[in-house]
Amino acid sequence: MSWPKILDRHQSLWFLITGPTLWALHFCTVYAMTAIYCEKLGDEAGPLRLGILGVTLGALVLIGITAWLSWRQWDYTDDWDYEHDGLTVEDRREFIGHAGFLLCVVSVIGVIYVALPAAFVGSCV
Amino acid sequence: MSTTWQPGRIEDETFVTVEGEHGPYGIYPPTEDMLNEPVDPEVSKAQEQRLRKAWAAPAGWRIISAVNNEFVGKWYCMTAFVFMLCAGVLALLMRVQLSVPENDFLDASTFNQFFTMHGSAMMFLFAVPMFEALSILLLPEILRARDMPFPRLSAFGYWCFLIGGIFVLSSVLFGVAPEGGWFMYPPLSTIDESIGPDIWLLGLSFIEVASIAAAVELIVGVIKCRPPGMRINLMPLYAWYVLVVGVMILFAFPPLIAGDFLFEMQRSFDWPFFDPERGGDPLLWQHLFWIFGHPEVYIVFLPSIALAAMIIPTAAQRPIVGYNWIVLSAVGVGFLSFGLWVHHMFTTGLPSLSLGFFSAASEAVVIPTGVQLFAFVATLMVGRVKMILPMLWIAGAMAVFTAGGLTGVMIALAPFDWQVHDTYFIVAHLHYTLFGGMIFPIVGGIYYYYPFFTKKMMSERLGKWSFWLSFTGFNICFLPMHWTGLAGMPRRVYTYPEGIGWDMANMISTVGAFITAAGVLVFAYDLLRSKKHQPRAPRNPWKAGTLEWADDPNDENWGVRSVPFVTSRYPLWDQPKLLERIDAGRYYLPDSQEGYRETIITSAVDARPQHVTRVTGPAWCTIWAAIFTGGAFIFPTFSWYVPAAISAAFAVVCVLYWLWTATAQVPVRPSQDVSLGLRLPLYVSGPKAPGWWAVFITMLGDATAFTSLIFGVFYYWTASPDFPPAGALHADAVWISGAAILYALSWAATRAARGVNRGGMQRLAQGLLIAAPLLAAAGGGAMCFSLMGMDPTSHAYPAIMWGLAVWTCAHTACGVIMQLYCLAGTFFGKLTSRYDADLWNTTLYWHFHGGSAIIAAAVIGWLPRVLS
Repeated sequence: MSWPKILDRHQSLWFLITGPTLWALHFCTVYAMTAIYCEKLGDEAGPLRLGILGVTLGALVLIGITAWLSWRQWDYTDDWDYEHDGLTVEDRREFIGHAGFLLCVVSVIGVIYVALPAAFVGSCV
Repeated sequence: MSTTWQPGRIEDETFVTVEGEHGPYGIYPPTEDMLNEPVDPEVSKAQEQRLRKAWAAPAGWRIISAVNNEFVGKWYCMTAFVFMLCAGVLALLMRVQLSVPENDFLDASTFNQFFTMHGSAMMFLFAVPMFEALSILLLPEILRARDMPFPRLSAFGYWCFLIGGIFVLSSVLFGVAPEGGWFMYPPLSTIDESIGPDIWLLGLSFIEVASIAAAVELIVGVIKCRPPGMRINLMPLYAWYVLVVGVMILFAFPPLIAGDFLFEMQRSFDWPFFDPERGGDPLLWQHLFWIFGHPEVYIVFLPSIALAAMIIPTAAQRPIVGYNWIVLSAVGVGFLSFGLWVHHMFTTGLPSLSLGFFSAASEAVVIPTGVQLFAFVATLMVGRVKMILPMLWIAGAMAVFTAGGLTGVMIALAPFDWQVHDTYFIVAHLHYTLFGGMIFPIVGGIYYYYPFFTKKMMSERLGKWSFWLSFTGFNICFLPMHWTGLAGMPRRVYTYPEGIGWDMANMISTVGAFITAAGVLVFAYDLLRSKKHQPRAPRNPWKAGTLEWADDPNDENWGVRSVPFVTSRYPLWDQPKLLERIDAGRYYLPDSQEGYRETIITSAVDARPQHVTRVTGPAWCTIWAAIFTGGAFIFPTFSWYVPAAISAAFAVVCVLYWLWTATAQVPVRPSQDVSLGLRLPLYVSGPKAPGWWAVFITMLGDATAFTSLIFGVFYYWTASPDFPPAGALHADAVWISGAAILYALSWAATRAARGVNRGGMQRLAQGLLIAAPLLAAAGGGAMCFSLMGMDPTSHAYPAIMWGLAVWTCAHTACGVIMQLYCLAGTFFGKLTSRYDADLWNTTLYWHFHGGSAIIAAAVIGWLPRVLS
């Protein structure tokens, strides 16, 4: 069976933005959890912080998987190609992998940054 | 030239045979031998004549009906520039008022109007439109397309912008401009009894619609109008930034439109969305505004930095260092900038944990933002830099922007922000980011591209004067404001008492403002002075490597003589015979066989040729459509609802005429020879067609606005202790369930009509297209009927439910018109089983609308019962 083109990560731009999309989902989830918990369930944030830890670990695992797939697609150790400025299919494939990998790195930093306040702040007030 | 009908190689790994003569066939990519074959000069001359005729601009005053990107782009730029000068004059008048304590040059109300208008005009009438104007002008040239995919849409957007801009800006002359600051916070602005807030809400919503139209056009331009061979990894960085910014506009503007909708409903009909007495919440507006407002800053910043990404490789005479890193930077900023909006609301009493998230995200966005600046510096370090004039402006921009970025890092920390919130420190910070991130790069970009637009050079001497005046003036004006702010001076005060330590700093700022203005004036003079006696600028005067500099040296309107096959990021540096071949008409589409304006559509990722599209030519209906759309937005300001409705109806008629007579026309023959042994279809439908992409992208934006309304419902629920209020009447369960079912049926009928029409059963398709609009209208009726018992003025709960219903029904009206349009098409031969693009687009619209209507029904009928 052949995959529809849109699901082929070698030529689909959607895989380029998987990392930051996961960042966005993590951000929205954490924001919504906090907004609802602090308004409805009280000021002591213990369970909320555990929840945020869980969501964060989940997001990091998913971004990690994406990063690994992008790294394989970039295939850096194969030919040490870094620029991808040629006209071949390989250049395009490795470019999407490379850019996707870099975006995963930013997304990991973003997710950790966003979760850090929950490591230090113990209450909603 | 090969015109065989053999199925040929279209790509290394694919053969195209399935679609027969309705698909592309022939040879692709072209071989070197084919490209070396000379073109007969006689043939070339005849081709040029046909092209010239097809692209001829209307003569005399009729030129205003032109839609070509070169004309519309220039008007757009000049209009935005004039609005900028107007907003700048307001700033100077404010600085005069503040130069000495207890001044009475302006009274409080005038001062309020001036700062509101200064901010609103700079953001909505200059910063975003300027990006769109420049991109409409540049993008097709950078991609070497003949024009934008929807030239009439750009023209429509421009006329809307002109009408809306004059309407909003002129209010200040009559003393009725809004006074609530550029973010219009309720309750101050909801209880304001003048028409100022209405002018702001309706006038700017009108312009936002035009902005979204331009964003759609630009995104489709980047995705579908690249020259053959320009795979995504070869795309010029400018196109990357345009793509990212276009998508950001799509997700950032709709929340504001949704907010404007709620705000105007409250002002016109007293639906209490932001009134806490009746269950509303003024903070909801702040959320919706800043979900727009913060990405907006990056929407303004990224396109300007894109100009830097074009200028820097030219100045350094080498390819950009770290292309991938800059793509990371653009895309990363595009995402992260949506996670910052609450840092404008640090003082509103949100949970400290939430403040922490937004503070952290605000720090995180610095990383991708910084990456591109480092890539620029690296390019300059490894290249041999020629300090050309545009580069001077870019260097100034980087210095000023970095300073603004550093204060940004400071105020992203909540405790620091609490100290300086709403003081002049903020004014200083935002002007540093906007001058450094927007004004300086844009001016640099105009110096850079001026010879490309006009074939003349701007003055090197005046340019240096202008730069040093603006740069020093800017710093003299805004650097002291950091101190004024820390000394406690709040922003937006029209005067201040003597002797509390603010006098000197304010006087210095005023002097600086006038020096900056002098710099801007020198620039404006240089821009507009007659250059009749100046020699023609050489082709590619800066020795750049990107395709826009392959523009035709003879002032032809056709955009490009032939559409090149691109194999490099810097084709003018790496493809030595490129220019010669473009000029000779050796590449694709060197002819206009039947006198139509045509350009090549390529696939989204790999830019394989897919389609020859016939773009629209000069038209009056776009101007009329803009005028009537303007009426539909402007009349309600004065509560003239009947003229507004009539005007809206006329606007619809104009748009229908425009679509019916000029889009998705059935071609005489299925495909056309585009030279180099390739034939391409003249008609495509579904995801290959640019129109389908335009609908998809528009509906993504529309879905964002709808999501913002749903966010409003959840926001009320989290923020207030009793939402929906205990004992409140809910929507009628039977009627609202019926509405959901009717919508689902209409949606299914539309989708089925597409399938059976393709299958050749046109009678059945017509039957389905008669049933679908009836079902949709009944669904809308049932949705409204279910709410009959609920009074929207009594409480925010019924108001937001009615808001959802009104929103859904407005979309249903549009969906019904589309269904009927297709139905009419089947009767008049415009829509056949083979040529069915309109039906594909209508179905796509219904995928979004059917889905959102069912969600709306669930939120109205089911959710409140669960929440209470």
